[in-house]
Amino acid sequence: MKIKKIVELGLLAIAIFLISGCSSGPKPLYNYGKYSESYYGVKKDATTESALQYQKALEYCIEEVGDSRSGRVPPGMYANLGYLYLKAGQNAKAKENFIKEKTIYPEAIHFMDRMIQKIDALEGDDEK
Amino acid sequence: MRNKYPIIYTSIFVLGFILSGCATAPKVVTKGEAYPKMYDERPRSLLILPPMNESTDAEAKDYYMTTVEMPFSLMGYYTFPAEMVSEIMKQEGVYDTELLYNLPMSKFADYFGADAVLLTRIKKWDVSYMVVASTLTVSITAKIVSTKTSEVLWAHAGTVKVDLSGGNSGGGLGGLIASTIATAINTAAVDYVDYAHKANARLVYTLPVGPYSELYMQDQSVPVYTVRGK
Repeated sequence: MKIKKIVELGLLAIAIFLISGCSSGPKPLYNYGKYSESYYGVKKDATTESALQYQKALEYCIEEVGDSRSGRVPPGMYANLGYLYLKAGQNAKAKENFIKEKTIYPEAIHFMDRMIQKIDALEGDDEK
Repeated sequence: MRNKYPIIYTSIFVLGFILSGCATAPKVVTKGEAYPKMYDERPRSLLILPPMNESTDAEAKDYYMTTVEMPFSLMGYYTFPAEMVSEIMKQEGVYDTELLYNLPMSKFADYFGADAVLLTRIKKWDVSYMVVASTLTVSITAKIVSTKTSEVLWAHAGTVKVDLSGGNSGGGLGGLIASTIATAINTAAVDYVDYAHKANARLVYTLPVGPYSELYMQDQSVPVYTVRGK
């Protein structure tokens, strides 16, 4: 009983280190690549170049999921990419990414469905 | 008063020492004790609202916002895409962060389906230069508010500072950061965003982990801070 508790505490301590995001050690829960840096780049200097870097960073997060403990695309990355497509008028691609987001993360269903409905409504208008 | 499991308490104390970076740690407060509502309500998703900027630097808001998603998602929560959410709220006519922070919390459940909202305030984002030393301060407070009950589920109690002279300027977690990264700051150009990342990493440390973490609902006994004995 005692030993079990001690082992538990030990494991907990190790786990804290994993979560705290130490630079050396096991893989992180998600591989964010240069997401944050590229997002900062867009905010610091909104150019076509920084926008391109941002999109590339999102695509990297989506492709390089193997380098993470979860093996999942980080939360919000498909949504972000979908939103870029939406702003560029590429509605089909936008929808595709929004669907992927909510498929991985059920927490996003409500929001993504709202976005998809918006796209459908827009396309409905176009057909009239 | 006899301890039934002396070794366990010793272990907790040792952990407390490591976490607090203080020489004395008489009372350890755990996540379960500090944030019971997180364990009761168990929010799965966090909607990150644009930060409230109370610093003197107008750019701090945009810059700080780029650092918030990662630490909270790595703690196991679904984080809504911050930039997309912010742009959509502007489209909905909410430009003012002050206004946003005063909306009924249930609105964020209705529109986004968020379980909870993450509110951050930039208290300080500057460097003060003095004769012998200068201090870089990125001071952030954060709280998680339920969209169901509007209650605060988690809040980071303190602020985080870096003393460029290497001295220990704050107690608890703040002090720890000061000592760990002061050296780096001394040798490199001052980079607020890089510093904000480090500050965030320490900030989320006190947060009970979310559903995507391997330790979900198992971290109640993790110490978050210590209270000095009287």
